Amino acid sequence: MTKKTSLMSAISRRSLLRAGVAGGAAGAAFFGPFKHNRVLAQSEKPIKIGLTMDASGMYANSGQSERRGAIMAIEEFNDNGGVLGRPIEHVWYDTETTPQTGTRVAERMITRDNVHFMMGAIQSGVANAISQVAQKYGCIYLNTNSSSPTEAGENCHRVKFVFDGNGENFTRATSKNAIETFGPRWLIIYSDYVWGQDTKDATREVATSYGAEIMDEVPVPVGTRDFSGFLLRIQQAKPDVVATAIGGDDYKVLRQQVRDMGLEDQIAWVGNQQDWPDIYGLGTDAAFGVFGTTFYHYLDLPGVPEFVAKYKARYPETRVDVPGNVFHQGYMAAREMLRVIEEVGSTDNIKLIKAMEGRRFAAEDRLQHFDAVMDPNSHHLQQTIYLATGNDAPRDDTDYFKILAQAKPEEVRSEAEAMCNLESYEDTPSYDQG
Amino acid sequence: MSTATWLLPHLINGVALGLLFALIALGFMLIIGVMEVINLAHGSIFALGAYVALAIMAPDGGLPFAFMEPFYALPAWPRYAIALVVAPILVGAACMLLELCLRPTYGKDPLYGLLLTFGAALVIEEMIRVVWGSSEYYLPIPRDISGGFIFADLIYSTYRIYAAIFACAMIALLWFFLNRTPYGAVIKAGAHDNEMVRALGFNLSRLRLLVFAFGAGLAAIAGIIMAPIWGVRPVVGIDAVIPAFVIIVLGGVGSFWGAVTAGVLVGLAVALTAAFVPDWSMISMYLLLLAVVTFRPRGIAGRASILER
Repeated sequence: MTKKTSLMSAISRRSLLRAGVAGGAAGAAFFGPFKHNRVLAQSEKPIKIGLTMDASGMYANSGQSERRGAIMAIEEFNDNGGVLGRPIEHVWYDTETTPQTGTRVAERMITRDNVHFMMGAIQSGVANAISQVAQKYGCIYLNTNSSSPTEAGENCHRVKFVFDGNGENFTRATSKNAIETFGPRWLIIYSDYVWGQDTKDATREVATSYGAEIMDEVPVPVGTRDFSGFLLRIQQAKPDVVATAIGGDDYKVLRQQVRDMGLEDQIAWVGNQQDWPDIYGLGTDAAFGVFGTTFYHYLDLPGVPEFVAKYKARYPETRVDVPGNVFHQGYMAAREMLRVIEEVGSTDNIKLIKAMEGRRFAAEDRLQHFDAVMDPNSHHLQQTIYLATGNDAPRDDTDYFKILAQAKPEEVRSEAEAMCNLESYEDTPSYDQG
Repeated sequence: MSTATWLLPHLINGVALGLLFALIALGFMLIIGVMEVINLAHGSIFALGAYVALAIMAPDGGLPFAFMEPFYALPAWPRYAIALVVAPILVGAACMLLELCLRPTYGKDPLYGLLLTFGAALVIEEMIRVVWGSSEYYLPIPRDISGGFIFADLIYSTYRIYAAIFACAMIALLWFFLNRTPYGAVIKAGAHDNEMVRALGFNLSRLRLLVFAFGAGLAAIAGIIMAPIWGVRPVVGIDAVIPAFVIIVLGGVGSFWGAVTAGVLVGLAVALTAAFVPDWSMISMYLLLLAVVTFRPRGIAGRASILER
């Protein structure tokens, strides 16, 4: 109490005000004129990217893979002088494969970290949560790797751009071929959350349109570690084809248990998308059935070996020795957004959105077989979808897949995108972090 | 197909799964029964067991020691058998450090022990991540116990049957140890009355140390047995510690046969719901727990605990 009284007497309100005014005047003389100072600061102000990527939960590995992709793209730009003459920085928080965390992270990145745009997400629930926050503020958000058809369908937003192929794209690539090869009696086993449910719906619609009969739809709770009961049920149903829409760690466990029982050859498995981090490390015999992907490190295309070499040089310590589809999308999304900022010469969100809408990505530049286009009405990247299976003649320890065919973007276009109703430019808040 | 014919494979599967759940819970049961410590690090120790076995068995198991090259050249069975023995011993010995850390918490609010083991769980998981990375590993098993076999027109996993038989053997061995050996008698006495054991001249600190190491070793064995089914990844321990906790509470804390019975019941609940109402399969064990503790708050065999006799 005594101490407090003495302090109060030592610094009177009047002396404090005097000191403040004097300090302000000195500061103005030193730092002014204000306008010029602001321009100077802005030219040095970094472009800041918010990486919303999982490091825990069922998509932890994929989250870190796409993070590596984004960081490699950022480093390439920084090595070449940045964007608009400004360096690029990134902030990253673990979104924990949890929508609530995604919401918190997005709020923090926009309101406290003042990011210029955000990117990342594997799980569609997380992506949807982030994009709602992004739309509220007008901050551009690149959904790099979550592939629920609703992401560019009923949950689309003006600020969101979806880079991965969606569940319907992959189903379209695989269904017709699988019905003709294996038969029309299908059973669908799916993860019981938004991506799995939407992909199951898309699979049912697409497969039945090609003449399939859906015998059963089996939901699998997220986090399931024992599939023996499900596998017995599948065997008892005796389907021609089992279509799977299970992701992350759950898919790893399912695959392991299928392989353990020797069921990989007894049943025709049609997967949706096989994410590279979900299979790498399990051995070249781990992949079975047919499935889709958007990139493979042994694609016979110019630029792919150089891309792989660049990855190896940058990430010699990672256990995933070669880049996969998740890394590829993370890299490409970051690179394209930075290119757009450079071309537009601004970080104004509406200008950038308009530049991204309808943007064409050359096949040789994206390391795919066909040109890709960012659909202006759904903000979903229309791209090459590859049909693949397990590789029975691998050329090395990383050669898990055998690419069977590649579908043009227009052949696998998702009808769920018709549900997309983007907010108008006027209804999208202006967002520019300068 | 009749209902019985349809149901029988699921019942068999449920019992096999239940025995595996019981195996997971054994070490947890021993530590909580004797030391009255809820060891939240049980799951991480379970994972550590799988990783250490991986490092012993496989040259690509993250730690390719040059001096082990001749060992890696051995056939799968001896490597597997050695891993199954050596890995739990190494893990049990390492976990003695955790018991030393726990000592200041004995006789105090149980929350201290709970928090300490929770912290230990995080530390062990991060250590695994640092040493082996976050990616998935596959624990190789001998060809004789892999693949499937056909019974009544259905394919079953050979390894799962092996694992269930192994779990039965472990349960029987542990029961024998606790009930038919002088060491088991001391452990049970320690669970019943610590001070009396000390008064009789036994070194209580050493007893606790050995029991904790033994419980950790059991967790490691469960981790090795479950690795080919669940996979090997740093967070796999979470998949183990939650059912273990449910089984211990369901069976009655400290009850040996209560834990085994609860394990089988949980296995049946999970397997049957997976067959009939798949979206309820994850929650079924919690509903079972809720139903039992509503009417028997001490669990199925809470009164008849072998460790409380």
